[in-house]
Amino acid sequence: MWFEDFPLNVKITLGSYTFTEENIIAFGTRYDPQPFHVDKEAAMRSPYGGLIASGWHTAAVWMKLMLAYRRARIEAGAEEVQANYVSPGVRELRWLKPVRPGTTLTYTNEPFAKLDWPSRPQYGLIEGRNEARDEAGELYYSFINRVLIVRKASQRS
Amino acid sequence: MSQPELLHFEDFRAGQLFRLGGHTLNANEMIEFASEFDPQPQHTDPEAARHSMLGGLAASGWHMCALAMRMMVDGLFNRATSMGSPGIDEIQWRRPVLVGDRVRLDAEVLDTRPSSRPDRGFVRFRFSMTRDEENRNGELVMMFVCSVMFRRRATS
Repeated sequence: MWFEDFPLNVKITLGSYTFTEENIIAFGTRYDPQPFHVDKEAAMRSPYGGLIASGWHTAAVWMKLMLAYRRARIEAGAEEVQANYVSPGVRELRWLKPVRPGTTLTYTNEPFAKLDWPSRPQYGLIEGRNEARDEAGELYYSFINRVLIVRKASQRS
Repeated sequence: MSQPELLHFEDFRAGQLFRLGGHTLNANEMIEFASEFDPQPQHTDPEAARHSMLGGLAASGWHMCALAMRMMVDGLFNRATSMGSPGIDEIQWRRPVLVGDRVRLDAEVLDTRPSSRPDRGFVRFRFSMTRDEENRNGELVMMFVCSVMFRRRATS
């Protein structure tokens, strides 16, 4: 998809991911070895009363699901070009509820703004609202993503 | 359960600077993280990455966050009473981090405030990841401001 092709204010469902004891501990051991992310027993005595996923695990899963969604759309013929997701940053990350083993979160994305990016005029910046909710609709995680996408106009010369 | 040897909320003051260590990125760890969470050519395929906007195999921004977290735990939280973080206002990925780059992480305390819950307080840090390299020494590659909850000492 080119910058021009992204529709605004349309919410898409990127996919779902189940957090398990195994993948929570694997991520925590490597990147966030605080007791409540890696050790069941110690987690019981922590303020969370049990094992919870690292917030960075919850965050990284968004990227995984976003790319899988785009790939599936291309394979289905619904999109032509794989847009590279190059981002200058993200905003307003909120870890609202602890993610415990057995929780399945469904991630959504809703682009809401298109902006110029003067330092790289061949790109435009898209900002989107993102949420991760469980089956009951409870919100666990949200943030605003910002991604630079190539403009179709830049390809004409 | 008092653990006087660990840093508590009361031990943090605005202006404190913590140096949280450094890390040199290799291609294997970049590809390992990206293969699972960010499988794009600029993060997984050295050949394709040379032609990308980033100019070479570059770490996923989310990988940089995870690495920063690891440095925070190893450099500070493992001797403190961290209770996690409710969120981050903004993460800036300022420069791509390429294979072989050595980065380090510093944390500056911006301010502290007690929580409405009496057992904890918030410490707001600015985390700065900079490149440690002859030519680009001190170049800022990633920055974020993040509040972290720490236990308060029992006052009784």
